Amino acid sequence: MASQLFREWAGIQQFPAATQTKLLELLGKLKQENVNTLTILVMGKGGVGKSSTVNSIVGERAVAVSAFQSEGPRPVMVSRTRAGFNLHIIDTPGLIEGGYVNFQTLEIIKRFLLEKSIDVLLYVDRLDTYRVDNLDKQIVRAITDSFGKEIWKKALIVLTHAQLSPPDCLEYDVFFARRSEALLKVVRSGAKIKKQDTWGSNIPFALVENSGRCNKNKNEEKIIAGGTAWIPNLVKTIIDVTLNGSKAIKVDKKLVEGPNPNRKWKEFIPLIFAVQYFFIIKPIQRAIKQDIAREARPAWEMRDTGSPLRKY
Amino acid sequence: MASQLIREWAGIQQFPAATQTKLLELLGKLKQENVNTLTILVMGKGGVGKSSTVNSIVGEKAVAVSAFQSEGPRPVMVSRTRAGFNLHIIDTPGLIEGGYVNFQTLEIIKRFLLDKSIDALLYVDRLDTYRVDNLDKQIVRAITDSFGKEIWKRALVVLTHAQLSPPDGLEYDVFFARRSEALLKVVRSGAKIKKQDTWGSNIPFALVENSGRCNKNENEEKIIPGGIAWIPNLVKTITDVTLNGSKAIRVDKKLIEGPNPNRKWKEFIPLILAFQYFFIIKPIQRAIKQDIASEARPAWETRDTGSQLRKY
Repeated sequence: MASQLFREWAGIQQFPAATQTKLLELLGKLKQENVNTLTILVMGKGGVGKSSTVNSIVGERAVAVSAFQSEGPRPVMVSRTRAGFNLHIIDTPGLIEGGYVNFQTLEIIKRFLLEKSIDVLLYVDRLDTYRVDNLDKQIVRAITDSFGKEIWKKALIVLTHAQLSPPDCLEYDVFFARRSEALLKVVRSGAKIKKQDTWGSNIPFALVENSGRCNKNKNEEKIIAGGTAWIPNLVKTIIDVTLNGSKAIKVDKKLVEGPNPNRKWKEFIPLIFAVQYFFIIKPIQRAIKQDIAREARPAWEMRDTGSPLRKY
Repeated sequence: MASQLIREWAGIQQFPAATQTKLLELLGKLKQENVNTLTILVMGKGGVGKSSTVNSIVGEKAVAVSAFQSEGPRPVMVSRTRAGFNLHIIDTPGLIEGGYVNFQTLEIIKRFLLDKSIDALLYVDRLDTYRVDNLDKQIVRAITDSFGKEIWKRALVVLTHAQLSPPDGLEYDVFFARRSEALLKVVRSGAKIKKQDTWGSNIPFALVENSGRCNKNENEEKIIPGGIAWIPNLVKTITDVTLNGSKAIRVDKKLIEGPNPNRKWKEFIPLILAFQYFFIIKPIQRAIKQDIASEARPAWETRDTGSQLRKY
């Protein structure tokens, strides 16, 4: 796709100067590594802030956000270009519907991604949720089954509503530590990441506060507790994951449709057939014939055929 | 239970004076109507603030609250007495577990309530949740199936985390209106409340902010956006529901165990048996005998019985 087709990443300019500088620095770092395009996939439950996060990164209201309505049924790709760098962010519908993973939504997402390469997965959830449960594990498992375990090497966990006042008696840092620990446990469990895979303990987190009342530092940058400007921090974490050496996830036909059951081990069919014939069917036929020959014939059968005294 | 066995409601005294006055006024109103005891049942999903709300009403940490762990598996009844008035609040475990209503928990709750009378149901959820879904409807349905539709005449919906900053573009009042509208719709749907039951549109809501950083007015009372002191408001709403004329929900053996299948329509058994015999069995027997008589007998059978030429 030629870059004239993408819109200019104008949204960068509405960030405060300090944020713009950091972002352009980070983009420069990518180009140094010969990365000129970045495809980011955003997934998670409904209502957690996926669309809001996309809008925050792009710097404009690129995707519709509604507090009370469900997202649209289809993924939306937002593409922007800047100084020869192409950014693609794919916002997706929430994966959970009414207590179940919505596999139909997952299918729509997979087909949307056909022939695309995912550089980074943003798994989004709220910071201010107090429980993890089996549903979270099921989303992770569904993502893993759809895209392969390797996607988690290219993932970061985004926690929204980061400007939270923690519950009484819990410091913000402690709350964040326990929340992220619980989520990481769920991801490792749902994706079946083994203990010896150290990368599984290193999936990074990024805190995000998308609302307009996010606190700001003296440079007018949006910050979260601790004073970190979260937009550059989020982009930095995305770039770190992009450059961490693991392969991008190519979503090809094979991945989307799963292994074709018709092609698997087709060549073995004649062999298995021969084994069944010679080693199973024939011996059983022989045994049946022997049984028939040996049995005593009842009186009426012999009478009928006119040979009462003949015993076989 | 004699009131010497119930602890004194000491927690009232840690409320600011203005709140104490209002609470004692409300208790007085109840006693005027000859209501000397109040049993409140608190139910809802896990992690929404049921235990925190109970602690707020009682004025002390009567029930354990943990941000990250699930509640205990059993309900807890907190009883306090004050000037001859007995308050019983029953805190329950969250009804949803991993995407399903936990019917085992519901059974435990029902047995806990055996021979108690529920004066008010507090259905608790968070104000700052952006979606309602089928799970919410299922909890409501499970509560309705367990205690009967009438419980919703004695119910109020409690919304916690009320000191929320609404999402961008939405005023607090508008957000609250839409959230409560969505929840009310779910309650009416799950409880199968008909349109003509006007009481179904009048289930009251109460906003609650249990955290220590709740804003306060000049009387040191905890207030929610809009300035209402929420503790007296919550207790007033409970009082209104208690005195609204509908019957308290008596949880007796019949309610818990459901209708005894052994007793239902026992007297009809002989009649049904007679009907089956005369109108179903006998005609079928007759038809079978006719079929036997009219069939041709095979040659070998007639030969065997020595009556070759006889046909029946």
